[in-house]
Amino acid sequence: MTDSLFLQIFLILNVFIIGVLVTIAARHAYAHFRPAPTAEPEKPHPARPTYQAVQLSPEVKERLLKAAESNFQAVLNRTTAELQRNLNSTANQLNLQLKKIGTNVVNNETTRYQVMLEDLRLQAETAIRSSQSEIGSHETELKAKLDEKMAAEEQRLLQQIDTKLGDAVASFLLETLQHNVDLGAQSAYLTATLEQHKADFTREVGHEAPTAK
Amino acid sequence: MKLLLPNSISSAQDIAGIILEIKAYNRWFSHQAILKRTAPKHTTEAPQLSQAATELLRAWSAKQTLTQARLDELSEALQQFIKSAKVVTITLAAPPTGDVKQTLVAWCRSNISPQILVSFQFNQTLLGGMVVRYGSRIFDWSFRRQILASRDTFSEVLRRV
Repeated sequence: MTDSLFLQIFLILNVFIIGVLVTIAARHAYAHFRPAPTAEPEKPHPARPTYQAVQLSPEVKERLLKAAESNFQAVLNRTTAELQRNLNSTANQLNLQLKKIGTNVVNNETTRYQVMLEDLRLQAETAIRSSQSEIGSHETELKAKLDEKMAAEEQRLLQQIDTKLGDAVASFLLETLQHNVDLGAQSAYLTATLEQHKADFTREVGHEAPTAK
Repeated sequence: MKLLLPNSISSAQDIAGIILEIKAYNRWFSHQAILKRTAPKHTTEAPQLSQAATELLRAWSAKQTLTQARLDELSEALQQFIKSAKVVTITLAAPPTGDVKQTLVAWCRSNISPQILVSFQFNQTLLGGMVVRYGSRIFDWSFRRQILASRDTFSEVLRRV
């Protein structure tokens, strides 16, 4: 901001100088091409010494006029050259200054831009890292839930299969065996069963005493 | 004197049948006593008794001579036995044979109580084993129950094979 203000002041100053020089050049050119009408003869100043008018010959006048013209031309040329040189120098300085300022501005802007980019990059990195972390934790959580659900489903299916299998086998046995009952072969088993549960049985009979009606 | 029934007489129905047989025998016995006094040469054939009834009469007349009063006494004792005896119902997977019946009745009378009546039923769906009911209590020792109770362990057994 300061650089920009300085540049503006500098440019205004240069414009002012150029304006002054152009004005001077214009006045000289105007004076040269349109000489002022002969002024009224000045009244003799009492303080100044009086000059006596000298009658010059036309050759002298011509020579003097040429000499004055050449002198004026030389002065004008010199002034123009000097103005040209000054303008060149000013332009060069301006160029250098502009270049310098431009470089500074570009450097500053580049630096600022880099800083901004770095900040943005850091922000983006932080956001990405945070997102990645969040995604990772969410992924882990989802995976854990999925594993848990899979295990529960697997367990449920296994249990279902076991139940179905047990039912099928039980049904098969019930269906198959009920037509092939041989009590004679079971006689020993029946007695052994009674012996096995004798204690329960006798205790139960001891508690109640149902009789035939 | 406590009446001891042979194992072939197991249930109240059996005793009721025996009572009928004994009453018929008693009638014949009375009739035979009258004939013996009035017409000794004329005899009638004794009614057919079952093996269980024969066994029971033989046991009943072992200590005292069989008279009409003793037969009445036996009938009365059998009626009392039905009223006072404990009753166990055994359900088997098939109609029990006589041997099976006698085996189970013998076990019950020797291990539970001599004064016990055993009534038999059958249910094919039991597959094997038996269901014993005594009053309100039921002991299910059937194959069906064991199979159904073990169906959850079947998968474990299958995995071990």
